[in-house]
This record gives sequence, structure tokens and C-alpha cells, in this order.
Amino acid sequence: MSSTRIIDCDVHPYPKNRDEIRFYLKEPWKTRYTGSGRGFYGNPVHGSRLDANPPGGGPAGSDPIFLREQLIDEYGEKHAVLLPRAFCNLLPDPDFAAAIAAAYNDWLADTWLGKFNEDGVFKGSITIAHQDPSAAAKEIERWAGHPHFVQVMTDSGARAPFGQRQYYPIYEACSKYGLPLAIHPGTDGMGINVQPTPGYPTHYIEWHTCLSLGFQAHLVSFITEGVFERFPDFRVVLVEGGVSWLPALLWRLDAEYKALRYEVPWLKRKPSEYVRDHVRITSQPLERPEHDRHLLQVLEMMDAEHILMFSSDYPHWDFDSPRLAFPKLPEPLKQRIFYENAKAFYRL
Amino acid sequence: MGRHVVCRVKDMMEGSRKIVVLEGRSIGIFHVKGEFYALKNSCPHQAAPLCVGTVTGMTLPSGPGEYLYGRDGEIVRCPWHGWEFDLLSGKSIYDPHRCLVKTYDVEVEKAEAESVSVETFAVQVEEEQVVVYI
Ligand code: FES
Repeated sequence: MSSTRIIDCDVHPYPKNRDEIRFYLKEPWKTRYTGSGRGFYGNPVHGSRLDANPPGGGPAGSDPIFLREQLIDEYGEKHAVLLPRAFCNLLPDPDFAAAIAAAYNDWLADTWLGKFNEDGVFKGSITIAHQDPSAAAKEIERWAGHPHFVQVMTDSGARAPFGQRQYYPIYEACSKYGLPLAIHPGTDGMGINVQPTPGYPTHYIEWHTCLSLGFQAHLVSFITEGVFERFPDFRVVLVEGGVSWLPALLWRLDAEYKALRYEVPWLKRKPSEYVRDHVRITSQPLERPEHDRHLLQVLEMMDAEHILMFSSDYPHWDFDSPRLAFPKLPEPLKQRIFYENAKAFYRL
Repeated sequence: MGRHVVCRVKDMMEGSRKIVVLEGRSIGIFHVKGEFYALKNSCPHQAAPLCVGTVTGMTLPSGPGEYLYGRDGEIVRCPWHGWEFDLLSGKSIYDPHRCLVKTYDVEVEKAEAESVSVETFAVQVEEEQVVVYI
């Protein structure tokens, strides 16, 4: 492993306590903010790696020094792309949601991307509340140009598939500032987000498995609505939404296109062809079929060489070890997945 | 095969565990209801330190919609992805035949008589100790 350089595209930093975030909130939000997470669909066993609790106290992922030891140094990671979990995308009040998003960004900039980041290991994500896309665009503008924010991020839970036009102010801002939009699971089927989880699952196992269905709906929506034609510089990264479904979905979409092109005349290329230019997928949780050769075939079918980027999801319970998450890969493919693709995508 | 005295029995309460390094291997020793068990401290899945996981019980096989809880204290759950392992056998609950963690023999033995050099008395230590064989 030592020869492989690593950029880890999904790492979660947590505030030590809610006051760290509250510090950046103005009233009336300051008092109202409870710091509660997503509320339900919690893992019934444990949500984070049990050995990730910092020895000095605080929740897993809240101590940059310990995180460096347990993740960055342990595996020799060159960069960790940080995705904070504000869970503001489930709130009905768009102003409250936007205030929380902004507070998280201030906090991240001051701490993980600021005083704990002399060597630039940490790269950050701008949290937005997609409930009010114009406000979200302003928040993106507020941080554009910051040396360590490398993307905008939102939860995959949404009231409508992401290709729809109400979201365009966000994509316009992303394009203007060259920031990709990361979509991460989080508030699917919660709060205001009925879509696009399939109804109302009973168990975490159901909810967690089906998260990838939401990502599929969003991806098809991005492509068919013509978002990538309208915003030629707009790029998307699907984080933690599953990997191996991609080839089958795109085969299906390309097949539909032959008959139904009539309905989406703005598509200038086969639907699947937009992916390499505009979309990246992170690896964790990587599906591991019984036979490694089957996974290797899927990686080839999905053009992993160009679109797959390694992620560990540290410190969450389904963390993928850089050493053992993948079967043995051909060296050039490994370099691309673990390092080159992210380096190019984030322009690091 | 190495014989390693790990600790005195009275220093490991029922339900407790101890993680030691023997011959360069990290090994977890568990005291479950009067018996001692030793497991390799590495999960067969992605090599997490299995023995720092939660010691717990499990839901027993049952009909749909029915929950039966049992085997309290006999299961360790991996601290990463939460797979359940039987402390008594090292076998995973979800697939005992193909997913298992290495176990080691543990014996409870009478402590050897130790000669203590203070004065010249031979002192018989009437204690039991936990011994792991690897
Ligand atoms: S490493 Fe133990 S369950 Fe995955």
C-alpha cells in the first residue's frame, strides 16, 4: 500500500459539541439550535467506529489530531476531503437551514481548514441548504476562492430529483466558481424530503440499502433534464451512493433514449456519455460480490478508471479500509482510483 | 506452541476482557460466565481490532416480526462494521462456517509455587492464573 498515494474523498469531521456551531449562529437561531442529528433511521448497533472515539473525549471525528493519527498517518493519505454533517436539508424553515449551513462553513473554515491545516491535508465542502437555492448560491459565493474549500455539498434527501430547474441557481454558482457539487446520503425520507427514497422503510437495513436508489434517481434526472448541456462546466460527485449499479442504469437509460429521444431533444449525446465529463463516484461502501472477478468486471464496465474515487467514510461504522476494501487491482487502475482521479477532479 | 501466563483469575472479573500481545500477536481474552476464551484481535473482514468491540447478546433466530434476545455476554461485535462473533467459538453469527476468527486455547491453572527471595521461605501461591496457549 505504501506505494499508493491516497486522496480520501469522504471523511467526516464533527464539532466537539453543539456550542462550537452555536458560536457562529445569530439569534433567533442561536437559541433554537439543538445540534440534533438526523433524528431517525439511526444505525441500531453503532453509528461510528467504536475505536474512533478520541482518547481525550468528544465524539468520533471531532479531534483533528487523533484523526490524523488514526486515518491520515495510518494509511498515508495525502488529502482528506471533509464532509461535515449538518443535516440542515431536512428542515422545513429555509432560513433556519441556511443559517445552520453558514455556521458549519464558518466553523469548518476556522478549525479543520484553518488552524488544524497548516500542511493543507484537509480539503473542505461548502454546506448548503437546498431548500432555498438562491440563498445556497450566495453561500457558495461567500466561500468561493477559499483555498481549501474544494466542493459544495448537499444531502441526497430532496423534495425533487436534482435535475429540476428550481435548483439551477446552485449549479450556476458551482459552474461559475469551478466547484463540483457533492451529493451525500443523509436526509432521505426525512423531514421535508419524501423523495426519492422508496416510501417509508421500516428498518435501518432497508433505508441504508435503498440510499443508492435516490442517487440513481438524481443522476438520471441530471442527465435527462439536460443540466450538463445547460451548465457545461457543472460537475457532480456522488458520495456514498453505491457503485456497481451504474453500468446497468446507464444501459437502461441509453436504451430508453433510442425511443424517447423525442422527449429530451436537448441531449446531444447518448445519456451515458455525459458521465465521464461531469460525474464522479466515490467508492465506499464498495459492494463486494462473492467473487472478486465479478467486481473487477463491474469496475471495467463502469469506467472506474476515469470516474471512481476512493473514499473511506471515516469515522462511520461502514468505514472502508484503504488496505482491504478492494480486491487486488492492476497498479495503474489502483493509482487512478486512489489518487489520480480525485487529484484531477478537485484540481489538487 | 507458546505458553503464556496472562494474569491472575481474580484480576479478570466476569464479563471483562483483556487485550495482550503474545509473540507479536494482539489477542483478546474474555471472561464469559466462569470460562475464559481467547480470540485473535483482528476481524476477518477488514482487520479491525475486533476484541475492542462491544460484548453483547444477540437476537436469536425467530419468525418474522418476532424478537428473541439471548446469549447475553457471549457475543462480540466488531467495532467497525458490527459483525457479530461468538466468543465461545470465534465463529461469525451470519456465516459460522466461512467467516470466523482464530481462537486460542485458554486454561485456568494453579499458579506455580514461587520462591520469594526475601528471607528463604518457599511461598506457595494458592491462586489460579489464566494461561493462553498459542
Ligand atoms: S472489519 Fe470487522 S466487521 Fe468489518
